[in-house]
Amino acid sequence: MIELAPHHKFGLPIASPVMPAAGAFGFGDTYHDLVDLRVLGALVTNPVSFTPRSAARGQRIAIHGEHFVTHTGLPNPGVKRVLRQHRQLWARLPIPVIVHLIATTPAETARAAEQLSGIPNVVGIELGLVDNITPQRALNLLDAARAEGDLPVIVRIPFTGVDALAPLLVDHGADALTLIAPPRAVLPVSDTLEGSEARRYLRGRLYGPALFPLLLNILARWCSKLPVPVIACGGIASLQDAIACLELGATALQVDALLWRNPAMVQCIAEGLAAFDTSRD
Amino acid sequence: MLNSLLATHFSLLISLITKLMVKQQEAVFRQAYPAPPYWVARFDVAYPPAPGAFVLVDLGGPLREALFPASIDADRPSTVNGFTTMLPPHHPATRLLPGTTVDMLGPLGQGFRIGDATRLLLVAETASLPPLLPLLEAAPSVALVIESPTRAQLPPTDRFPPTVELTLVTRDGSAGYLGPLESQDPAPANLERVMPRLVELIAWAECACFACSNDRYPALAALVRAARIQPVPDFAQALVQVPMPCGVGACEVCRTNTRAGEKHACIDGPVFDITSL
Repeated sequence: MIELAPHHKFGLPIASPVMPAAGAFGFGDTYHDLVDLRVLGALVTNPVSFTPRSAARGQRIAIHGEHFVTHTGLPNPGVKRVLRQHRQLWARLPIPVIVHLIATTPAETARAAEQLSGIPNVVGIELGLVDNITPQRALNLLDAARAEGDLPVIVRIPFTGVDALAPLLVDHGADALTLIAPPRAVLPVSDTLEGSEARRYLRGRLYGPALFPLLLNILARWCSKLPVPVIACGGIASLQDAIACLELGATALQVDALLWRNPAMVQCIAEGLAAFDTSRD
Repeated sequence: MLNSLLATHFSLLISLITKLMVKQQEAVFRQAYPAPPYWVARFDVAYPPAPGAFVLVDLGGPLREALFPASIDADRPSTVNGFTTMLPPHHPATRLLPGTTVDMLGPLGQGFRIGDATRLLLVAETASLPPLLPLLEAAPSVALVIESPTRAQLPPTDRFPPTVELTLVTRDGSAGYLGPLESQDPAPANLERVMPRLVELIAWAECACFACSNDRYPALAALVRAARIQPVPDFAQALVQVPMPCGVGACEVCRTNTRAGEKHACIDGPVFDITSL
């Protein structure tokens, strides 16, 4: 077993280092026909907020070459309704569930964390921080998530905030860190100019192969300095990518947009890592 | 006797479950050729999508491409399942070599539900017409309304079965009726607005299927309500055209506003009751 929260009273053991990234896999009811859930270490849910959120208006995806940005607005029906709709399914899943919580205000974060405590098979919270968050606000949100609930808290750190936030949050009691949340980027909505309309641009979360070397750079700099497990996330697209993350010190990894293009590859990565571990032993 | 009956029911059940499951399947690309203003591409695949449903195909880009069937095995031997799709020129599928194996997810989504309607109305803009083409012979009487910006962009009329009653509409009045479909403005001299004709066809039809830009559906739904006092559910259905990267409701990119709240176009649609949009 791999321990994601060694300093927490309950711990957070997972059987496989491979997990879906928040926002890539739904709530456990979407990919069951395509991915054998048993190969995953845990289900990391789509982002959940305390109150319901609607989808962003207008264009939500822009593709350019090998990369794309999405701006969905992180729609979800709110933590209460998510639990009403999915808690029975989560209890039956063969893998534990980590709920990705959108950290908005300390009060809402605390109330959401409280509601997640005691839900069968929910074993942890992944706290999603917004870009450009101040260190003090990040600490307040972490405190809020830990104060009212008894679940281990993993913090997913924005790409631009690793240097400022990672050591601080670990010192303050984060059980593990997910490095990194997709960075913000801008892409043209269409590659061609249509008629006389001015070209439109979309700002959103960036996905694609360019993230992977950035991720490795961050892992190489931080994994050895952090006394908590690090979960690698960003542009992992093959077994070789996954091995590189683990070799640079990550304890586990999250797969994001690869799931949409090739869900079977997640299974290949998980099975390949299991074989790789066995051969190393 | 009982055993054989049970075995038959069991195999039917397994076959039904297999059909309902989302599949990752291999498809063989057969050919592509231009049919202006589209390109036609043909794939052999074990489980082709129904009209209005789709598959996601991996063509090497960062995300899969959604393909809608434009005909399903109309001219293929029954032992080979497959479908043709119509694509814009320069679509990556048009550059595949015949015989190439591609990875497909699907069939996905909810397609058109025309039941046993005998009078079917199809309404489309030229660019979004292909997903309606498998329905051209789906009922004994079919009326097709095609709207195009101008005459040059209308597809050749000889491509349609002779039994289909065709109504052509251009936005500049260069051929057929004057559009847009939902416009009630007075027409210039020598031109006739299509809207009264469309209302007439909606009143005639037992089922209507629309494939237009999403922002036009509220106005078209108003036309449906004007022509039919209380349309039965699914009397008028609309194909919502949005990017659907994952196809299974995970990525939240295809959320669509409906009267019953936000729905995923990829699993709850992409065909919705037009009055719910």
